[in-house]
Amino acid sequence: MKIANNFKWKLRPIQPQPKLLNYDFALDFTDYIRNAAIIQGKKWKLTNKSLAKGEVFLTKVEVCRLLEEEVRRYIEQKLQVKVKSLSPSITNRINRLKQLFYEKRGKTSWEEIPSEVIIVAYPPCIKRLHETISSGHHISHIGRFTLTTFLINIGMSTENVVDLFRSLADFNERMTRYQVEHLAGLKGSRIKYIPPKCDTLRTHGVCPGLDDICRRVRHPLAYYRKKLRTLKTEAPVASGA
Amino acid sequence: MIKIETKAFIQAKFGEYYEKNAISIQPPSSMEKREFGFLLLKERIMLRHKSFKTTEELRDSLKRLVPSNVYYSSAYYERPEEKMEEKGWLGADLTFDIDADHIPTPCAKTHDTWTCTSCKTTGDGTPPEKCPTCNEQKFEKKAWTCEVCLESAKEETMKLIDILTKDFGLSTKEMSLGFSGHRGYHLHVESKEIATLDSISRKEIVDYIVGIGLEPKLHGLRSMSGPNLDDFGWKGRIARGTYKYLLNASPEQLEKIGLPKGAIQSLSEHKERILESWKIKGPWAMVKGVSIESWDKIVEQAVEKQAAKIDTVVTTDIHRLIRLTNTLHGKTGLKKTKTPIATIEEFDPLKSAVAFPHGTATILVSEAPKFRVGNDFHGPYRNEKVELPMAAALFLLCKGAAKIMEEDSDVR
Repeated sequence: MKIANNFKWKLRPIQPQPKLLNYDFALDFTDYIRNAAIIQGKKWKLTNKSLAKGEVFLTKVEVCRLLEEEVRRYIEQKLQVKVKSLSPSITNRINRLKQLFYEKRGKTSWEEIPSEVIIVAYPPCIKRLHETISSGHHISHIGRFTLTTFLINIGMSTENVVDLFRSLADFNERMTRYQVEHLAGLKGSRIKYIPPKCDTLRTHGVCPGLDDICRRVRHPLAYYRKKLRTLKTEAPVASGA
Repeated sequence: MIKIETKAFIQAKFGEYYEKNAISIQPPSSMEKREFGFLLLKERIMLRHKSFKTTEELRDSLKRLVPSNVYYSSAYYERPEEKMEEKGWLGADLTFDIDADHIPTPCAKTHDTWTCTSCKTTGDGTPPEKCPTCNEQKFEKKAWTCEVCLESAKEETMKLIDILTKDFGLSTKEMSLGFSGHRGYHLHVESKEIATLDSISRKEIVDYIVGIGLEPKLHGLRSMSGPNLDDFGWKGRIARGTYKYLLNASPEQLEKIGLPKGAIQSLSEHKERILESWKIKGPWAMVKGVSIESWDKIVEQAVEKQAAKIDTVVTTDIHRLIRLTNTLHGKTGLKKTKTPIATIEEFDPLKSAVAFPHGTATILVSEAPKFRVGNDFHGPYRNEKVELPMAAALFLLCKGAAKIMEEDSDVR
């Protein structure tokens, strides 16, 4: 309780009542989601909790786990010390290391993802988006974002991505090209975007349901990599047909 | 009477509106920390990253620019005029958008029309998989909103308010509700505790409201027991939803959701007893032949009905721009209208949102279904010249379904 108070949690112990038999505490929902949102597992989802009048009912063990998360964030925040300036010799070394890191990282990702696009390795969500758009049907904004960023990240050229959208009734070449290039990090903020993770796709109704590989990954790109590996072991000489 | 161009006509009418009504436009709270955006009617571009210190400045801008749509950010920034990365996010209201376009409605959108882009065949409702004439799969859609659509949106809004007050403990005093002027409702929650929640935390709120990731088992559904009608949170919603579902479901519907024959028979035969059983402990233990898997399927249906169908993207977006109350909607010429939460059931959006109560105009309508603006119904029309009250005429003009012929100058 003391620690919780330190973090200004709105937490109160509750007396056992017939309806709240197994709970020890009631915690304000904002304090709850701030800490529980990143803990994995269905039982931590707010949807699966008892929530009434803004309070989530919890056991002692659960409250302790949430406090751990709060403390972890607190420490991490403390560690984020802003360094004002470093001597040029150190900055140079950092830059050199950064460069090396990016070079190496670039290499590994190239090794993992083949240059050609393997459609059979698409996760179900991408497969559905791809089919929908190819038949000229409308897909939601977030659907377009997911499909585009996925394809860019598995190495499809911006040209080919733009072509995919060509069959839409409201296709505008200039606009589409700009947006695809923007997401590829070639325009504007120069950030190469990646698709949202599975959890987010579920929230926005993009996830059509899970298959076996889905159950073992949390991100559509991870699905693609995993599926490619299984394809490789199944058919070692498979070429990108 | 003067011949005029449609676009110039809309512009002139919108200009008149802001000239006369700018005074009724109230800025959002902490106006100086918000970003404003205007979609310009003539140039069709979005002016963004604007900020205002005083109400007068804002009103003057509206009169001068005559935008087709006016937005402000749900977010508060240190420097609202800077580029996104440099604004300095301080927090954001919790916002909800309920749009009839996103919910299946009982009218089945029969008022919508589609046109095949290759052979120009047209039809009503949602477009088919393939064009019946040429087998192509590309269509242009024209969407309309009817009273049934708006009523469905209202029902979803009421469900949302129920969840927010009962489960999340929010007070209706912290909420403001408005009809968007087009297809649905916007709900805003301004609360200090919520303002600083990030997108991930807001996603948890969204998932709760939509019932995403819900595990009946974690709410106490077992093969012999389950939640009660008067439980709080999702437990009670599951029980009440299941009760309602069983009350109305036909054997065909039960079959459609994949229940085995035995379970359907058992549920249909003992319907009265099952519904009666809720007074004690619920039906979970008493119906023979209904497995836990079958209950799961029924509960899934119940959850779907109990959840509020909000636009999930809007609520998780912490930089969203939102239409300002009492400004016009460029697609309808109706205004965004404050909706009193206590009397939402009696609220008539199509009457309250009329922004042009006076005058008439003669327009050439290419195609429109029967529709209502204000008190009166109009249409359906197809390639006809009609004289309509100003609000109805502007509605069709803004929708792109008509051209202006003449405005009756004597009633201005």
